[in-house]
Amino acid sequence: MTSIVEASDMRRRRRHFIDRTMTGVMVGAAVVGVIPLVLILFYLLKEGIPGLSLSLFTEDPNRPGLPGGGVRNSIVGSAIMVTVATLIGVPIAVGCGIFLSEFGQNRLGTVLRFLVDVLAGIPSITIGLFIYGLMVVTRGEFTGFAGGLALSILFLPIVARITEEMMLLVPRSLREASLALGAPSWMTTLRVVVPTALPGIATGVMLALSRIAGEAAPLLFTALGNQFFSTDLFHAMDALPLRIFVYAVGPYDYWHDQAWAMSLILVTFILVVSLIVRAVIGTRVTVRS
Amino acid sequence: MRVARVRWWKAALLTLAIASLALIVVACGGNDSSDEATPADGTATTAGGLATNIGKDDRAQITGAGATFPAPIYQAWFDDYNKKVAKGVQVNYQSIGSGGGIQQFTEKTVDFGASDAPMSDAELAKATDAVHIPMVLGSVVLTYNVSGVNTPLKFDGDTIAKIYMGTIKKWNDPAIAALNSGMKLPDADIQVVYRSDGSGTTFVWTDYLSSVSADWKSKVGTSKNPSWPVGQGGKGNEGVTTAVKQTPNAIGYVELNYAIANKLAFADIKNKAGKFITPSIDATSAAAAGVTIPDDYRVSIVNASGEGAYPIASFTYLLVHKDTQSCDKQKPLVNMLWWVFHDKNANETAKSLNYAPLPATLQPKVDATLKTLTCNGQPILPKG
Repeated sequence: MTSIVEASDMRRRRRHFIDRTMTGVMVGAAVVGVIPLVLILFYLLKEGIPGLSLSLFTEDPNRPGLPGGGVRNSIVGSAIMVTVATLIGVPIAVGCGIFLSEFGQNRLGTVLRFLVDVLAGIPSITIGLFIYGLMVVTRGEFTGFAGGLALSILFLPIVARITEEMMLLVPRSLREASLALGAPSWMTTLRVVVPTALPGIATGVMLALSRIAGEAAPLLFTALGNQFFSTDLFHAMDALPLRIFVYAVGPYDYWHDQAWAMSLILVTFILVVSLIVRAVIGTRVTVRS
Repeated sequence: MRVARVRWWKAALLTLAIASLALIVVACGGNDSSDEATPADGTATTAGGLATNIGKDDRAQITGAGATFPAPIYQAWFDDYNKKVAKGVQVNYQSIGSGGGIQQFTEKTVDFGASDAPMSDAELAKATDAVHIPMVLGSVVLTYNVSGVNTPLKFDGDTIAKIYMGTIKKWNDPAIAALNSGMKLPDADIQVVYRSDGSGTTFVWTDYLSSVSADWKSKVGTSKNPSWPVGQGGKGNEGVTTAVKQTPNAIGYVELNYAIANKLAFADIKNKAGKFITPSIDATSAAAAGVTIPDDYRVSIVNASGEGAYPIASFTYLLVHKDTQSCDKQKPLVNMLWWVFHDKNANETAKSLNYAPLPATLQPKVDATLKTLTCNGQPILPKG
């Protein structure tokens, strides 16, 4: 009798041991996964805060070798080009997503879905070179518009696929109810499905925004950069990632400080957007339940 | 409940939109500060029969791109010109590398290019109207990381070539010891570091080694990106600096202005006249004074013959079109170049950023070149 009890006791302890060990390993993996993020944020705060100042936002770069000045031209340039990318990207991407979810259950849809996925996988530097060949060489000028266009191509597949996913999440019963009440298919899509999926689509747009705001590669051969303040879309334009790239490898210490501060500004922007996205996703789940 | 929730995220979006709008407004509002810069501080003096600020009423947005090495001085000059002389002229310069500068200039995506190495004959064949304007001089220094060495080490070209060929392997090699008598150098392997990215700095470096070592010339040659016999690579000046700092007994080469700004140790190099020269701005300028300069300025000035000439130096060039169909950009550009070469503060600006100005003896030649530039077939600067 006792031997049976002992045996089952041993098995139980073994199970517990394995359970605890594996839980420990998983927790360890999770911690290791988060360490880089924590270290990056810590290091960014440590290096970035000393370079932060109001003049960073309100002044243009001083001439090299003269400490001080700001990166107003880069912040405004980034804002303009991201806005251009959004204005170009949203209608196309959302339209593409609507087609894929509502009318894409056929061969054309499958091909299109595949192509959008391929587009999402193209390196951003390649997209920059494509726009360079398409717009910069032919027009003979580097322009902020070309930069915005390159960013919009990055933006497109992300928003298109998220729009599709979000619209597929809308319950079938809602569509059926609308159709049963006599609404045509287009009205059902535009007045019922899209509004229901709108928080999700907005989430996708913001995710894509935070993705493209930090891209330097597609701007190198399109917007080029500009040490002067310029809001002219048809001239060279500056952007935060471009200026970080130049300042980080430059010879002056105050450039390095400002590069860190700019990185902090970018990451803060992305963090704020992510928090808003979380809030929006939270909303969507409540609405559906 | 549903209505309230939906409003919440709409409010979040609205907040984001307002915040970004506010940021733009605030940023744009600061515009006034830059406009209050003091106007021409004595720039109206005449030079070569012309006022230095002849372009003060020009209006243009001009874009140039190219070499990374001179980017700080170009941006400093162009910024000064915008703030002190011609408020309507914004000359934007971006560093994309010498190769990129020649490429974009040839493709005509920029109004002017810039390169540390002169254009080759093959490159000129694709851009036949290219004119080289030498702007400043740069030099390359030998930096090292040897513990216990406090005074600058001394090297000659042959020894450096042998180190970079891998035939001199140890710090206590007799060849190095002979140049540095009285110094205790370790019995350790020399860790050679080179630039892994194609660069004008490497071009000057290998150009120098080719001129002092027949062995180097035949086996490796002059190139922006040669196949290195020995050593490890570092990307850019900062990559080489980091590699040298972190590797005991390492040796590498960086630009003089980078070495000064980052307080690196660098070696004295024996020049053609047999003198050991400490790299400096004046010694770099002196290198251009002892060489006969051809009309297109495409000349190597390594191993120059002057007494005080630092032997590893080069011009860095602006590439402009000899003639353009429109005067909108060419005229302000040429007027600005005239200012750069004649404003009394421009040379001081260069020196303060550790760039070596052209020697005064070369100035009349550059003036003559500037006067050959035209737009629509019409000369921009008056003759004489």
